[in-house]
Amino acid sequence: MIELKDIHVTFNKDTPLETKALRGVDLAVPKGEFLTVIGSNGAGKSTSLNVMAGIAPVLQGSLRVGQNDMTNWPVQKRARSISRVFQDPKMGTCEDLTILENFALAYGRTTPRGFKFAVDPSIRLSVAERLSLLKLGLEDRLDDKVGLLSGGQRQAVSLLMATTGDTQVLLLDEHTAALDPKTADFVLQITNSIVRELKLTAVMVTHSMAQALNTGDRTIMFHQGKIIFDVAGAERDKMTVEDLLHLFKREQGEELADDSLLLG
Amino acid sequence: MSLYEILGTLETGFIFGLVALGAYLTFKILDFPDLTVEGSFPLGAAVCAALIVQGGWNPWAATGFAAVVGFGAGYVTAYLNVRFNILHILAGILVSISLYSINLRIMGGPNEPLLNVKTVFTAFEDLGYPGYMINPVFLGIVVIAIKLALDAFLATGWGMSMRAAGANPAMAEANGINVGKMKLYGVGLANALTALAGALFAQIFGAADAYMGIGVIIVGLASVIVGMSILPSRTIFLATTACILGAILYRLAVAVALNADFLGLYASDVQLVTAVLVMLALIGQQSGSSLFKILKKGTKND
Ligand SMILES: Nc1ncnc2c1ncn2[C@@H]1O[C@H](COP(=O)(O)OP(=O)(O)O)[C@@H](O)[C@H]1O
Ligand SMILES: [Mg+2]
Repeated sequence: MIELKDIHVTFNKDTPLETKALRGVDLAVPKGEFLTVIGSNGAGKSTSLNVMAGIAPVLQGSLRVGQNDMTNWPVQKRARSISRVFQDPKMGTCEDLTILENFALAYGRTTPRGFKFAVDPSIRLSVAERLSLLKLGLEDRLDDKVGLLSGGQRQAVSLLMATTGDTQVLLLDEHTAALDPKTADFVLQITNSIVRELKLTAVMVTHSMAQALNTGDRTIMFHQGKIIFDVAGAERDKMTVEDLLHLFKREQGEELADDSLLLG
Repeated sequence: MSLYEILGTLETGFIFGLVALGAYLTFKILDFPDLTVEGSFPLGAAVCAALIVQGGWNPWAATGFAAVVGFGAGYVTAYLNVRFNILHILAGILVSISLYSINLRIMGGPNEPLLNVKTVFTAFEDLGYPGYMINPVFLGIVVIAIKLALDAFLATGWGMSMRAAGANPAMAEANGINVGKMKLYGVGLANALTALAGALFAQIFGAADAYMGIGVIIVGLASVIVGMSILPSRTIFLATTACILGAILYRLAVAVALNADFLGLYASDVQLVTAVLVMLALIGQQSGSSLFKILKKGTKND
């Protein structure tokens, strides 16, 4: 479904600020797989999601999604099949628009927009129906501006918006990180049920190793712009957070050893 | 003020209502501070006047064409920004400066009088209505119709996309909206409205003038700010209503100020007074406190 081949991303190339964010990433996520992604700060997790969404400039390598080579597609064109939920709850929705209007925008992602009124009774009905699944009472507040909602409510709304229409790929970049633990759990739960119910191919970045192991089918770890660890199936089921932490430390330790060798 | 003066104020108020709607579209909806209007207002006037006088066009067609040309001017500004990453404000200044020369070319001189020719306003006088009575009514109908059309447009799929493109570009893109395209059409539309206002202004005052664009941007902004401060704009319908109301009130305030002999103001002081008013309003909006407090705080920090 998603296939990254030898992806290199370098920010501020040929300047003193040059950062090699991705240094040869190969990754294939088959259709219907729910992949979780971990790694230390600056390891390249967000950048690899941004490569899929079309926001990060690809220096080298290619990206295929489904039948299409999307390496050079603009963001809005990819949006027909790839949708995302941002880390910041403010980013995923438009606060000056009502809940209903936000959903109307989201429906436009997969079905072309026109000069028809964006909001009509049939949309109102289907949005209310979807929102009622959240059990947050939002179905009664369709005409409230999104700016009036709490962070958790907004993130739940973003998630539903990102999964309207015939979305195939869902990208989640630490989408629960800005929420309090209880709300984060709630949003994670609905994420799980939506991904499973709609059989989406999903990539979720998380800062919590426990979350990474307990959610989805497969876990990868980024370190300094590369995937250093990839586990799935029975091996993953056996794995504990301690194992993961251990692995993580060992990888970093090796890096240090390499450096000291070089220096020595 | 006499009834005659009040009706005259209504006329210009409605015309600048169009400019205010354009400013609302660029500044508030698209978050694209657009200065092209300083050039597209006289552009609309020049194109309309030249087509009527030199080209012998039907005044309605000339007025419509002026709006189309105005759209082009706004499109060019947005294109400079979207395609070549030129700062929006600078792009607007570049286009409006160019338009100054272009307008002189179009008119073949610094102005183009519209004397003894058919305009959209003479049509009513021919029917036997006195201009000072019928013109404000006609302009009111035109401007309100355009406002309602704009309200409707902003509720369509396209209009909603334009609002999202201005309010949250990253979210808009993630929802498949071509943000650049929205800017091109939105800034184009705003300048079409402004050029239409210029075309109507020239016809009602009997001439197009290369200098008539000076300060138009500030008048548009002042109208939006005045309107929004008296009519809280929770919905698009209320916001666009506030723009037109603001334009009328602003013209009224100017007329009253110029009429009040004890103030000792000349007509030429209008720009200064308007600019100071807008500055004060913006400062007030920023801090939400009185100007006096802000000035005091300013000196303390020194
Ligand atoms: N837009 C950008 N401009 C410059 N550097 C960036 C940009 N985005 C990310 N980086 C850099 O690329 C590296 C990887 O960042 P990122 O993918 O955001 O890491 P994370 O794994 O924490 O999500 C970091 O060193 C970061 O500073
Ligand atoms: Mg990140």
